[in-house]
Amino acid sequence: MERDSAIELVGLSKVYGRGQDALTAVDSVTLSVPEGQVIGLLGPNGAGKTTTIKMMASLIEPTSGRARLNGFDVSRQRSCAVLQIGAVLEGSRNVYWTMSPWQNLMYFGRLKGLPGPQIKPRAERLLTELGLWERRNQTVGTFSRGMQQKVAIAVALITDPPIILLDEPTLGLDVEAARTVKEWIRRLAAEGKTVVLTTHQLAVTQELANRIAVIRSGKIIADLPTAELLASYAEDQFQIVVAGPLNGLRAALPSGAEVAPDGEVTRVTLPGADTGALHKFLGQLEAAQVPLISVTKAQPDLEEIFIRLIRDGGMPAVEAGATVGATAPGGAL
Amino acid sequence: MTAIPSPLGGPWATTKLQARLTANETTKGLRLLQGRWRSAFVAAAGLALVFMGFSIVVGGGFDRPLMALTLPELMAVAIAQTAALQGVGGIAEEINGGTLEQSQLGPAPHSVHIAGRLAALAVEGLVMAAALGAGFALAFRLHFHLNPAVLIPALLTVADALGYGLIMTALTVRISSTGATVHVLNMAIVFFGGMLVPSTAFPHGVEIFARFVPTTLGTQVSNTILSGHPLSAAWNNGTLPWLIVHVIVLLTLGWAIYVTFMRRARREGGLSPR
Repeated sequence: MERDSAIELVGLSKVYGRGQDALTAVDSVTLSVPEGQVIGLLGPNGAGKTTTIKMMASLIEPTSGRARLNGFDVSRQRSCAVLQIGAVLEGSRNVYWTMSPWQNLMYFGRLKGLPGPQIKPRAERLLTELGLWERRNQTVGTFSRGMQQKVAIAVALITDPPIILLDEPTLGLDVEAARTVKEWIRRLAAEGKTVVLTTHQLAVTQELANRIAVIRSGKIIADLPTAELLASYAEDQFQIVVAGPLNGLRAALPSGAEVAPDGEVTRVTLPGADTGALHKFLGQLEAAQVPLISVTKAQPDLEEIFIRLIRDGGMPAVEAGATVGATAPGGAL
Repeated sequence: MTAIPSPLGGPWATTKLQARLTANETTKGLRLLQGRWRSAFVAAAGLALVFMGFSIVVGGGFDRPLMALTLPELMAVAIAQTAALQGVGGIAEEINGGTLEQSQLGPAPHSVHIAGRLAALAVEGLVMAAALGAGFALAFRLHFHLNPAVLIPALLTVADALGYGLIMTALTVRISSTGATVHVLNMAIVFFGGMLVPSTAFPHGVEIFARFVPTTLGTQVSNTILSGHPLSAAWNNGTLPWLIVHVIVLLTLGWAIYVTFMRRARREGGLSPR
């Protein structure tokens, strides 16, 4: 079967209800995710992330459009398509709490059609690597939330699927458990797995995803490689923090500079990437014996970019270029 | 990273795989039973107490011939009650917990899932029924004309009870309050099925109504044979053919509702926790 992408979504839409009560949860989403890519699917609550992931997993039938996993159409070749994925879905339970980790892995492995002798060595390896081997025969309900999530991850990986769907995998986890989950996502990426990750912890996405798609009101409003997205929001500004007031130096500031007193300090923003103006101003500060605290180049983090994207409804370039809901040029890595 | 090929091959491989997947669901159901064996025990004890209590009140003591007529229905009720309550409770818990979604991430069709689920419920119900039946038969030295032919109505009664459980389980996929209805219907089965008073003792109109209730016809056919008559007697008096029809209708209806509601849930996102 000829294919280019591990995941291919074409015009995928989901409308719940009919008539006046109709609610468009996902609106013509088109994405193409190559093998081995970690894509962060971001969006506010109710944006359509989970519906999109569940349509990929064939748990929700699309109203229109198509989803393909490793070339298998999710609607028409469901029995093959579901074998391509392992999923940790949103919610507290992905596994049976009254069964042990071992029993869960045997059940979910067989559910995917694997015979027992093939599942056992994989289950043993996963439970060992996740630090659950000693407790493999205890019921999952007695575990901490972090350990339960580890079992859910083991279940998702029991068939060694090439595509992993992770919907809020760090939700409700403490710092240590969240770190374990992050390490596993990094490891999966290193193994060449294709990972779709949704989370509200944007620092996690910035760290792990090599591509980010932002969804708002069911539409993809940005879809770029992470580095490109961050670079596109890098600001040609320097932020200078000095102790105390600027006194007579205000007049020496270049035009467009902003001064904001902030308690014991003063924050100065110099527009433009001109380091000459910066050096000149720093020299004036030194001459006036104004203590310098810091000089930084303004670079909003993913959280700030996300907020701007949601507020503005997309990237300015995307709005002008009109590829909302389609794969942006940077998408096809 | 290569795509995982389909395990479905030719018809034989598909049949073998589906048998394995069904067995997997049954094993899971039995493992979940292990976690709640105490509640199963309490349910069986409750039925036993109701049975004995009614024997004392209605029979004026332990009337052995009367108990011999009502014991088959006690066993049938044990299976029907287990199939309905555990079927409904099990699937509701899986929907709310999120495991129903996870269990759909395999190649098995809906029919395989529900067949495995029903098999586990059948085992649980049969164990309870066997314990109650053997316990009362031995404790009160009840006399039956045992005949291998009784296995036919016995199996049909089990299928009838499972059909009822299947309908209730299927309804729960869409109607979350089905559990409350099940309690009412279980009471109707206890009363009209003949666990307290043999259904043949009802006035004619009530008996006709009672025959529509799951397990009633099965118990009537079983009692016909256990009282020394041949299977043909049940065929000739019409109870056996109607039992077969009843079983087919309940199982077909249950399966159709289950498949329809599961497809609908997939369209509407109803497999998710509510």
